[in-house]
Order: sequence, then structure tokens, then C-alpha cells
Amino acid sequence: MGETVGNLIGLNDEVIHPAATLAVEAHNSPSKQFLVKKIKIRHDLSSVVVFAFSGSMLPKDWSGQPTFAKTEIATGEFRSLTSLNDGGDAVVNGSFLRRFKDVIGNLSKAKELKEATEKKRQVVFAGYSSGGPIAILATLYFLEKQTPSPRCLTFGSPLVGDRIFGHALRREGWSDYFTHFVMKYDIIPRIMLSPSSTEHEQILDYFKSKFDRKNINPAPPSGFYLTVMGNASSVASYEACHLMGCRNPSLDIIKSFIELSPYRPSGTYVFCTGNGNLVVVKNPNAVLQILVHCAELGESNTAEVEKRSLDEHSAYLSELKDCLGMQAVVSLDGGPATATLNDLGLSPQAMLCLQAAEEFENRRSRNLEKIRKYLEKIEVELEMMRKYKENAQISRLGYYDSFKLQNEDDDFHANVSRLELAGMWDEIKEMLKEFELPDDFEKKREIIDLGTKYRRLVEPLDIANFYRHSKDKETGAYVIGGGPRPKRYRFIQRWLEHDEKKPFGSRSESLFWADVEQLGIDIKKKGYLQEIEERIQQVERNLIAWIGDRSLDDDVLLENSTFVKWWRDLPPQHKPKSDRIEKLIGEMSERVTQGTKI
Amino acid sequence: MKRRRMNQVPLFSSAGEQAKMLVTSNLIDAAWAKIPELQRGQSALPSSVQTMIDHPTPNSTIVVFAPLPDSTQYPLPQGGDLVPYPDFDFLGTKEWPSVSINRAALTLFESLKNHLYGLKTELNKREGQLIITGHSLGGSIASLFTLYLLSSMDKESKCRPICITFGSPLIGNFALQHSHWNSFFLHLVSDKDPLPTLFLSSGRSAPTSSHSQATAYKPFGTYLLCSEIGCACFDDPDLILKILTVASSEVAGGLLQVVDYGEILRNLKNRAICKGPQLAGERFAYPFSDGIVMELKTIGIDPAKHNIDTTRMEAEARTLAKKTKASDAKELNDIKKYMVMLEWYKKKSKEANKCYYDCFKNGDFQRDVRIEEFMGQLTTYWEDMVAQAERKPQKEGASFRTAWFQSATTFRRMVEPLDIAIFYRDGGRDYINNGRSPLYKLLEKLYDEAAKNTTREGPDSKNKKVSVLLTDDSCFWAHVEDAILSCQSLNHANSTPEQRESSWKNLVEFGKYVTKQIENFAVSPEIFLEQSSFMKWWRMYEASIDAFRNFYTSPLVNFMKSHKYDDYGLPEEA
Repeated sequence: MGETVGNLIGLNDEVIHPAATLAVEAHNSPSKQFLVKKIKIRHDLSSVVVFAFSGSMLPKDWSGQPTFAKTEIATGEFRSLTSLNDGGDAVVNGSFLRRFKDVIGNLSKAKELKEATEKKRQVVFAGYSSGGPIAILATLYFLEKQTPSPRCLTFGSPLVGDRIFGHALRREGWSDYFTHFVMKYDIIPRIMLSPSSTEHEQILDYFKSKFDRKNINPAPPSGFYLTVMGNASSVASYEACHLMGCRNPSLDIIKSFIELSPYRPSGTYVFCTGNGNLVVVKNPNAVLQILVHCAELGESNTAEVEKRSLDEHSAYLSELKDCLGMQAVVSLDGGPATATLNDLGLSPQAMLCLQAAEEFENRRSRNLEKIRKYLEKIEVELEMMRKYKENAQISRLGYYDSFKLQNEDDDFHANVSRLELAGMWDEIKEMLKEFELPDDFEKKREIIDLGTKYRRLVEPLDIANFYRHSKDKETGAYVIGGGPRPKRYRFIQRWLEHDEKKPFGSRSESLFWADVEQLGIDIKKKGYLQEIEERIQQVERNLIAWIGDRSLDDDVLLENSTFVKWWRDLPPQHKPKSDRIEKLIGEMSERVTQGTKI
Repeated sequence: MKRRRMNQVPLFSSAGEQAKMLVTSNLIDAAWAKIPELQRGQSALPSSVQTMIDHPTPNSTIVVFAPLPDSTQYPLPQGGDLVPYPDFDFLGTKEWPSVSINRAALTLFESLKNHLYGLKTELNKREGQLIITGHSLGGSIASLFTLYLLSSMDKESKCRPICITFGSPLIGNFALQHSHWNSFFLHLVSDKDPLPTLFLSSGRSAPTSSHSQATAYKPFGTYLLCSEIGCACFDDPDLILKILTVASSEVAGGLLQVVDYGEILRNLKNRAICKGPQLAGERFAYPFSDGIVMELKTIGIDPAKHNIDTTRMEAEARTLAKKTKASDAKELNDIKKYMVMLEWYKKKSKEANKCYYDCFKNGDFQRDVRIEEFMGQLTTYWEDMVAQAERKPQKEGASFRTAWFQSATTFRRMVEPLDIAIFYRDGGRDYINNGRSPLYKLLEKLYDEAAKNTTREGPDSKNKKVSVLLTDDSCFWAHVEDAILSCQSLNHANSTPEQRESSWKNLVEFGKYVTKQIENFAVSPEIFLEQSSFMKWWRMYEASIDAFRNFYTSPLVNFMKSHKYDDYGLPEEA
């Protein structure tokens, strides 16, 4: 107690209420796409510029095909909104995305935005109700562009993105920039947990007539609560099963027969309990559980709660006015506090769900601790591998070929190291696939660096092992989409590419040997077809580029290596970059000669 | 009740949440929806169970089985006993190989078989979702039909089935606990419904002792158990049986009560979004046991009163939680690592001009101690794989084995010689009958079965690879050791003529065996290394021939005497 919302979300308290006021105003001004207002902060005289977006209660602006208007988003301006671990791209509500795209042109050009950027003023994108999704997507748009971090405040906003969406936000470290205020019973923040239906339309119609002021007191619909909350409850229970470590395989079978809403909360949620207290929650799984459980029916009858779920959507301004002054805020992260739960009116079953959500985060932290211990071991193994590679140069063969021959003790030790390392990285890979590590794991500098080091040093050995046992005959080439290449390398490569903002597949220097081996095999099989010639040229170009940026070590150029022998055997007309590569081979040879002399 | 020890991570029971997810989704509604309709309709089949097929969407199919209204009330005048049904033995496991089915259900199933066969053929062609559902005895037919369908579906089938029954009696003595088929079955049972427990309360089949288990009913699949105030999902057969037994003792006498599952579902749906009478108090200190007690009480079971051991349940959940995809990945790489270690040992031995078999038997290298450790790890791993396969129903177990039997064969060929070495080093005789572990026997049996079904490569292609090959017969060294013992007995001064004769016979047999191996290129060329036990045997044998049977000859004797083995395994000149 005692902390203010502003402290917890990193924004001055003075901004919140005016932002909410502007958001409500903008929502009901359909003639303007957005409203702008500058708010002066009293104590330091700085200014915050708030942009708030207009809304729409037309069903077509909420739903669409396919079900839930599911739209993959990770392209162009939203390239970060994807999973780096086979989870696919983030999904957002396509109707919300379309409305955002209608706005973004004018928003980018707004002189107030330019001015705020020049004067280094904090920018806040705010949205009430259906203005919320636009504020969220606009904030993301500018975060992707790396403009000074904008903030996002929403009030009674529907959910926008799926699990990967939230995962990507947390991975990028953007999650804290988003704050969503939600009233205890407000139906709108829950509505996207349920598929669009006649009940949806009834709700939207009701608000439309209310906001249009054509009808001050429209007759509230009824009977929708059971449908919307039933579906929401299905989503919450499904997620709870996972949090609770459910091992019953029938869960997956059942899931394949029902279509649950893909949408999940992300960012920081501030629940208004209705008695002056605010509860701040960041754990996304806990948010989902609270979102569903605190709106469950209690002592009062369904009709009463149903009416409240509509009324509370219009109650943000008055509620926030009361709460923000009182500083009665409880943060739920770090374990559910009982007093808070009484304010939210949660059942014992909801308490178990919250504890499971908390335990899930603890488990991820424990897994990270376990992996941290691995990192030291990985360093040690990689150092041994580095020495192995260095020693192998003396014979002018290189470690790739030495490993492929498996004649020496060193080759054997390297093979054992290779398997040790594979065991540890495969374990990491599996944890990532199950989201069992913190979301920002793949964004951590030391992890990307160590992974890249591992990939460049050890993947050639996996390739050597693959071609040594002629495994291509069983499975096809080492590098084919979803083929025999171990996934751990694919994952690690994507981390680097994502980090460098490069297209996927552009950092495949660790695949150099696989390209060479496969070309050798294919030439024997097919001869010098056009396609083969192009591949030879690609290998030459890659070699020069990768040696140039040091992502590929020059020991591939050792005279007795598979590559040099293969390349020398190529007919001259197939080697356009002949001079350049001969020169590289010559330089390498000299370096080794000098090295051995010393 | 014992409490969770400090430092242990908290566990949770998801029985309540899974049930809630089910009743709030529309899957069960969709499965139930057609049943009352079918019961009201005209009877198309001359049977007390009617069936219909429907396609709610182009990509989904629903098959419904429902008893005629009057047979719902008096469904099973008799027929509560279990009858062996060999047609379903594909569900049997090693422990319970033969499958028995409830007589009433079986009689119905058999009477509908022609119709069901046609239905199966039609469904096998379909893609997408398939819901098979049924009420009371119709549910039993739905379950049997689903099993029948699953047994004929191949891996490539694009049809995804789920079987949902309402108030169906238990149907058989198989539990499917270790089969992935188990997850295709969902049984809804109300605590007010006397039907599911009809046979249990009759006392004919209650599992009073472990002996009677072979003939007792076992539930399979996931049970969604419901009461007036809530529901919970369980899939542990013993627990389900216990809960059903408790319920049956409490509904006894209400036999004529008809349970309306449509009404039950409506009630549960409403309940699912209600907070209930109590609000959360303090945090739960023991989430698993507190949770499961809550869940059991919801469906009318008091764990203390009915002797349900939640501590044991938590311990089992804890064991399960330890095994993850991540830990499996680690284990698999460890297994590969141990095999690499052994390959290296073999290679090192060869460099010293010895067979790894002999090196290990004589303890030549320092690293031998670790070799035993790797052998142990590998053996444990493969024993576990074999045990897993045996717990699955026959057919599934077979395809599970196919996935790994190649690696298992390499393991057997690599490691069994080392076990043979230990056996003879410690003075054993006749390894094959006295020393061989069931694991190796089983792996070899699997290999032989697979070899029968595939056309093997011709010896020519094998010749090229023979230098890196392991000896095919993992018992080769046992034969060699026994042959050495035969030679000794032949030469021994105290041997009786009968003993000599029998030893000689054994040696002749051994000669034939080796000749065959050589002709097929089935032995590693390493056996001809100067210091190998095989060469040791040859020198003894050669001496015996010279001493006792001067002019004896055989293909092997010729092969050995003419040093043809120098070329064995070398690539032929082109």
C-alpha cells in the first residue's frame, strides 16, 4: 500500500486522468481520427503529449474472417512480433489492425508528434474502448521504429493480440510501456475471449446507441453474459491446466475439437476493484485468470451482474478520479496478497489458479538458473573445441576434415564434446518451445553471443558427422526446410538474425560445409546443370563475404580440406571468382607456414 | 495426512480446471445435442440401440448411438459379466494379454457388426473432426466402435476422432493407461446415474484381490464426473473405479431414476462462471492436496472418509512432472554419447591389434572401469524402452518399437559381447542358456521378426561396409568361448571318450556356424586379429585336429589354413 499507480507503471499520476478524459472524448468524436493534448506536469514543469483515438462500435470493426479475425502480423512495420522458437508469428485482430492502418498515415505526419519528438517530450498513446487497440498498435509501431519510447494507456480496451504477441512484447522489453485499466465487471475487456456472435452484436449495438447519443438510455441487452463469460472461462481454464502442469494428453485432443479465442492479455493491468482500490498485475497469466474470475457471478443474480458489466464500461472516469487520489494501490506481483483478493472477490479455485500462475513464473526462473549453470559448462566445452580446431590446422587439414576422419584421440574427444553440448542446447531448445524460460531469454546478449559462438564452432562437426555416415541417403540434404538440420542451430541462428534485424536465413555461415558437401554429391549425380552452377557461384560469394566479415573461419581454406580439394577439382569455367579465392588460399597457406615455424 | 516437505516446489491438480474447460466449451453440447433427437426418431435398425450420422460442417462428422427410450430405463436385465473377446486382443498388454468385454455390450456390438463395418469403411475415407458419441448402452457401443475404428486407422489418417459417452456402463477389463488411444475417450458420468456402476454394485466383478483383476472391469479414458454443484476430470483408472464404487453405493435404490445429461450440462455451464458460496481466504500452503480435496468434495467424495490417498497422488504427480521434453532431449544425447564412448573403445582396441571383446575381458585398458558404467546406463535405458512398449497395447507397442529397434540392434551388437566377456571371465559356461538377459533375448526376437518382413541387402553390398560393421550375431563370442571349452575338454587327459565325442560334435557344429557367418559377411574382420579369442580357439583347434583327426577337413579349416581371412572384408578389386 502507499505506492501510486504512476510509480508502478513509470508515468506521472497527473497524466492518467486527463489521458482517460481525452480518450473518452476522442472515442466519441468519430469525425476526427485522434485528438492531441499537452499535459503539464506540475512538479517538474515537463510536458507530456497525449494522443487519443476515436472508436467504432460497428461489428465489422471488431470481428471478421477467419474466426476471431485472426491475422498474422509479423511483417514490415511489426517484424518483432514473432516467436524465435517455432511458435510462429503473432496473431492480432485483423479488424483492429485495419483501423490502425487507416490512422497511422495521418498520425505519423501529425505536427504535434514531430514537435514532441524534437522537444523530447514524453508521448502517450491513449485509447478508450475500441480506441484502445489503435493506441496499442500505434505504440508498437513507434517502438519498432525505435523512436523515444512512447507509452500506452488504455481504458476498457478489448484484447488485441495472442500469446506470441505478448511473448514478443516481453522479449523486446516493451511490456512495461503498456498499461491497461480494467473495471471489475466491464464486459468489453473480456469480449474478445469469446467468438463473435449475436451476443457480441447486441453488446456493440447497445454501446453504439449510447455513444451516438441518439438514445440516452437504450434498453440493455440480456442473456449475453453466460455466452461471453462461458467462453472466457473456457480459455482461462485451458490456460490454468497448463499452468498447473496438467499431464492428461486428452487436453490436447479436446483442444483440437474446440476453437478457443487466441487472444491473451499483455502489458501491465490495473484492475479497478470498485471500492477505491487499484490492483496492479504484470504476470500475464495472472491477468487472464483475474480478468475472468473477478467477473464471475457471485451472490447477486445474473441480470444484475449483466447490467453492471455494461454500466462499468462507462465508469472509468469517475472510478479513476476516486482511486488515483487515494493511492490505494496493491501490486500483485510477487504473490497474491489475500486482502487484494478479497477486493477482487475471487473464489478459492481462482486463488489456486493465481498461485499456479505465480509458480509458473518461479519455474521459469528456476529453469533459467539451471541454464546459467550450463552456460559455464558450455564455455568450457567450447574452449576445448577451440583448441581442437587450432591444433587441427597444423596438419593443414582443418578440424572439419579431421573430425570427419575420426582417426585421432582429439577427434574422439571432440565428438564427446559435441554430444555434451548438443544435450545442453537441446534441453534449452525444448524449454524455449514450451515457453519454460523467461520471455527475454533469446534477447539476452550473452546468450546470443554464446549461441553464435557454439553454432559457428560446432555445427560444422554435426555436418561432418552427417556426411561421414552418409545420412543424406536416408534423410536428404542436411539443409532443407524442416529437414535433418538440428533445430537448436535454427533457433540460435534466428536469435542473431533477429538481433541484427536481418532477414531470416541470412546468417547461415555455419552451413558452409553442408553447402559444399551437398554440391559435391549433387555434381556427381547430376553434372554441371544451370542450377548447380548457380549454387557454386553462391558458395564462392558466401565464402568471400563470410571470410571478409570473419563469421566464417579461414581454416576452410587449408590446402588439404574438403573444400579446397573439391574447389580445385572444379572445371575452371565454373569458378568465376577463381583469382580471389586462390589468393585467399595462398594467404592462408602462408599464415600456417609461418605459424608452424614459430 | 503428510504435508509437503520444505524446498519442494508446489504442485497443482488440474482436475477441476480441465472439467470446467470441457463444460464451458461447446464440444460436449455438440455431442449430446443429437442424442435426444435420435431417441425420439423412428427406429431404423432392428436393435435396441439406434445410430445416425451427421455432418454439422463440411469438415466434421458426428456419429451418434442411443438406446431406445424404453431400454434406457431397463437397459440390462442381465449380461453383466465379462466375456473373452479375442477380436479385441490388440488392446491387450503384456501383463493382461487377453481382452474381455461386457456381455450385454458385446452382444449388441456383434448384432450391429454388419452395419458398423459399413460405417467404418465410410469413416475411414473421411478427413477432419469425428465425434463418436452415445448414451448409456449406446455409449458402450460408441466406445467399442471407436476402438474398432482406431485399430484400422493408419498413421497417415487425416481423421481425428474423439469418443464422448454419457452415463455408459464400464465395458471391459483393459485400462489403456499407457496407450495414446486413452486420450480419445471422454466419459461423462453423473453421481446420480446408477447405470455406469451397475455392474460394480452387482458385486460380480469388484476387484477384491489382485488375482481377480484379470476378470474385473477397468475404466479407460478420461472421466468427467459431475454432481449438482460441480465437476472434475480424472484419468487414473484406480481412482475412477473407487469414485464410481462410492457413487454406486450412494445411488443404490434409485435405479429407475432417469438422468437428463442435457440438464446437467446446462447447470454445470452456469456453475462454471459462478464464484460459489465461499471467497478465497489465505493462500493455499499445499496447493495440490488442498486442490484435490476441493475437487473431490465437489463431486461428492470425501477423501478422508473414502480412504483416498492424496499424498500418494501428489507423489505420482511429482514423478511425472520430472519427465519433460527437455529432460528427454538430454537423456537421448547422453545415450548417443555412451555409444560413441564404446565405439571409441572398440577402435582403440583395434589399433592395439585386439578385439574390444578381448581387451575388455582381459581388462587391458584403464578406461575399462568406465565402460561398465556406460554399459549400465545403456542397459537401463533400453530396459526402460522395452518396458514402455510392453505396457502399451500390442499394436501400438509394435509401432513404438519400430521407431527405435534399429538403434536397439546396434546397442545389442555393441554391448552384449561385453556382457559375454564378463560372464566367461567370471567362469561361466553356456552363456546362451545360463547368462543371457531377457533384454537381449527380446531385442533379438524383435530383430528376427523385422528381418523376416524386409528383404535384406545381398552379401555383395555388405562386403564393402564390412570393415566398419559390428558382428551381426551378438552371441558370436559366446559361441567362441564354448568352442574353446570344447577344445579343452577334447584335449583334457581326464575326459571320457563320450565327452570327447560330444566336444568334437560341438566343434563341428561351431565350424559350420562360423563358415556361414563368414559367407554372409556377418562377422567383423576384427575376429581374425592375432590375439583374439577366436584365433586362440583356432590355434587350439588346429592342434587338436593334428593330434586327433589328422585328415579332418571342412570349409572353415580350409579358409583358416589358407589364410583367406587376410582378404576378408577388404573391398574387392574393381
